Amino acid sequence: MTKSAVEDLVCVGTVAGAFGVRGEVRLKSYCANPEDIELYSPLLTEDGSQSFPVVLTRSIKNGFAARLGGVETKDDADTLRGVSLFAPRDRLPALPEDEFYYSDLIGLEVLDTGGTSLGRVKDVQNHGAGDLLELQVPGQSATVLMPFTRAVVPTVDLEAGRLIADPPEGLF
Amino acid sequence: MARSVWKGPFVDAYVLKKAEAARESGRNEVIKIWSRRSTILPQFVGLTFGVYNGQKHIPVNVSEDMIGQKFGEYSPTRTYYGHAADKKAKRK
Repeated sequence: MTKSAVEDLVCVGTVAGAFGVRGEVRLKSYCANPEDIELYSPLLTEDGSQSFPVVLTRSIKNGFAARLGGVETKDDADTLRGVSLFAPRDRLPALPEDEFYYSDLIGLEVLDTGGTSLGRVKDVQNHGAGDLLELQVPGQSATVLMPFTRAVVPTVDLEAGRLIADPPEGLF
Repeated sequence: MARSVWKGPFVDAYVLKKAEAARESGRNEVIKIWSRRSTILPQFVGLTFGVYNGQKHIPVNVSEDMIGQKFGEYSPTRTYYGHAADKKAKRK
C-alpha cells in the first residue's frame, strides 16, 4: 500500500480478543452507529499490510462477535488481540453540505479573517450544545474550544486544509 | 425532590444581568459565567455562554430545546477523547 493511502485510513474499531473457540473475535466499534463497521469491510491494519473482510455474527457486551476473513482458529484470533482496524477514508459515504467527518476536520489549520493563524484543530467535541472545535493554539499548552457554526466558521476548505474563523469576543 | 413551581426557575442574578447587557449591546461575544446551577431561560436563546467547568469556559450556544435545563449540563467536567471514526460534525 502506498504511503498516501496509509495516511487516508480512519480507525473504526479494535479487536478486543478471541470470542469462543471457533475463530470468532470480539470487535469493538468506534463508529457513530456501531453496526456500520461492517459496511466498511474489508478492514485494514494500521500499516495496511493485512486486510480482513468482516462479518458481524452477534451483539455482545461491549461490542460484537465477528468473523474476520482468514481467521479460522482461536489461536489466530488471539494473535490479533489489540489490533486496531482501519477503513480507507474514501469508503466513508459522502456527506451533505455543512456536514463533515471529525477525521477530516482534525488537523486543519484555523485562520482568522485577516489570515492570522489561530491554531490547529486538535479534536471535535459535542456536549449537547452543538459541535465544538478544540484548537491547539501555537505557543500555549491549553486548548481553546470554538463553536462550529456558520457564523463562527464561515469557510471550511478541506482541499486547502484550512478553516476561516471569525471567533466571538472573549474566546481567546 | 422537584422544585416548587410557584418559586419559578432559579437563575443567578449576575447571569441575567450579563445576558441582558449582551443582548442590548448586540455584539458577538461569549458571556463568561461560573453559575452551572442556573436554569436556561427563553431570553437566553441565541446567546453564547462560556460555562465554566472548573478548568475553562465551554462555549454553549443556547437553542430553544435547551430551555429549562441547567447550564452545567452542557459543560462536562471530565474530558473523554474517543475515536473520530465516522462521526460527523454539522455546521449549524
